[in-house]
Amino acid sequence: MPHIWPIGGGKGGTGKSFLTGNIGILLARQGFKTLLIDADLGAPNLHTIIGLPYPMISLSDFLNKKVTTIQETVLEIPIPNLFLISGARNKLDIANLAYAQKMKILRAILRLDYDYILLDLGAGTSFNTIDFFTISDSGIFVCTPEPTSIENTYRLICSVYVRKIRQVLKIDRFRNLATEAETRNPDAVIHNPETLLNILKDINPEEGRMFERILRAFQFKLVINQVRRQDNPKIGALICKIIEKHLGLKIQFIGKVSFDERVHETVCKKEPFIDKYRYFQATLDLEPIVKGITGMTDQQAVAL
Amino acid sequence: MNGPGDQNFYYLLEVAFNASPFEIHHAYQEMYQLYAEGSLATYSFFPRKEREEILAKLNEAYSTLIDEKKRSHYDQLLVERGILEEGRQYYRNQKTWSLMYDSKRTNTDTALSVRNELKAIVSSNRVIQEILTHDVLSGKDLKRIRDELGVSLEMIAEMVKVRIVFLRAIEEDQFEKMPSRMFLKSFLRAYAQCMGLDANIVASHYLKRIEE
Repeated sequence: MPHIWPIGGGKGGTGKSFLTGNIGILLARQGFKTLLIDADLGAPNLHTIIGLPYPMISLSDFLNKKVTTIQETVLEIPIPNLFLISGARNKLDIANLAYAQKMKILRAILRLDYDYILLDLGAGTSFNTIDFFTISDSGIFVCTPEPTSIENTYRLICSVYVRKIRQVLKIDRFRNLATEAETRNPDAVIHNPETLLNILKDINPEEGRMFERILRAFQFKLVINQVRRQDNPKIGALICKIIEKHLGLKIQFIGKVSFDERVHETVCKKEPFIDKYRYFQATLDLEPIVKGITGMTDQQAVAL
Repeated sequence: MNGPGDQNFYYLLEVAFNASPFEIHHAYQEMYQLYAEGSLATYSFFPRKEREEILAKLNEAYSTLIDEKKRSHYDQLLVERGILEEGRQYYRNQKTWSLMYDSKRTNTDTALSVRNELKAIVSSNRVIQEILTHDVLSGKDLKRIRDELGVSLEMIAEMVKVRIVFLRAIEEDQFEKMPSRMFLKSFLRAYAQCMGLDANIVASHYLKRIEE
């Protein structure tokens, strides 16, 4: 089974594709067979971040049965150990994917044989985005230290959890739960997973406890991107604290990435940032994040 | 507030039961900033009403725990509820205070009397008089005068409110560390005055050497 890491963030432009591409390269360099999947179906651009010329085969070729297995859509990249499933030639209407097709992709991804699979997700909280979170127990949320991004990150995290609850509960019983929550707390902004859980515990204590176990098994991570010098360095830890305390969900802050003007330049030149600016702060910041993903200590990394 | 565990004031402020008032104060400041209107980390997270409730609770917790009487009363309550063990002590943080500056020394009146004392020594000390007859004064000369008077550089710095690095630069003739000419002149004057010397003579004789 590969480690699957969906990378999302709610708001657009927070650096999801940038981080997916560069973290992927770092993982590949450490010797892990790594696959990047451009799961931002409607607005794919991951191939550009890692500097691949216009790809000839895409995810939609698998859906259209042009190729029979998803493995055939995997592109070879000049970087050893790194592979890509691009979305560059997706049909224009693919963003509105039918449920069955989405399931087909998800099932196919689960059968792939890689050490790490990074899913670059699109902005927003549509089912097409958050359903990619449901195939894995892990996930990375990318957020910038701005109210707009933080607002959307909270919303995405809640959506993902509520979607998971809904997946297990099935639609009818979930609707009952939601109405119950609505009557108890009419002015809540977001469906608070913890409230849902508490109500569930009230109704059926056994089931509630089971859910609690499921929800706490998730290992979600938070990355703060584009941190400028004047930003509060503790903001990532504070966000995780708020989520743990008030949503009852476990989420770990695995690192911040400094803002760098040169990112724009490397994206324009279609070169990977970490190759061109090897010893710049933003590149160095990625190392602890990769460690947070692999869960490896320094010594283990050296042994490799 | 949602969350596991008991919702007592210590839990709210995230401090240990034996936290000192100092720790409680800081914990409160941090928590208040986290939940305050306009905090980035909790932006859009709470409806207004809920946010106000949380802040009110934090205020209540703080005002109780920071007051020694109220706190011991509250602790008693916790003991009755079986949350806290009896006879627990917290560190009261009684640090003894110490002077940062000695106002006796920097006081204007004392500075004046010190200067008058030094003036008397200057006029009667032969070594100093001999040095002052020089046409040009170097940092070494100034230091010798100061040594004759038995005054420390630290004391001068404190009296004339000039950073000691500048005074040391003057005495050691480290031109690259000196401030601009205007500041240097006024520092020299203050330095000389403080030791009961003639400010004009010292400043002009010292600067003459630099300008040569």
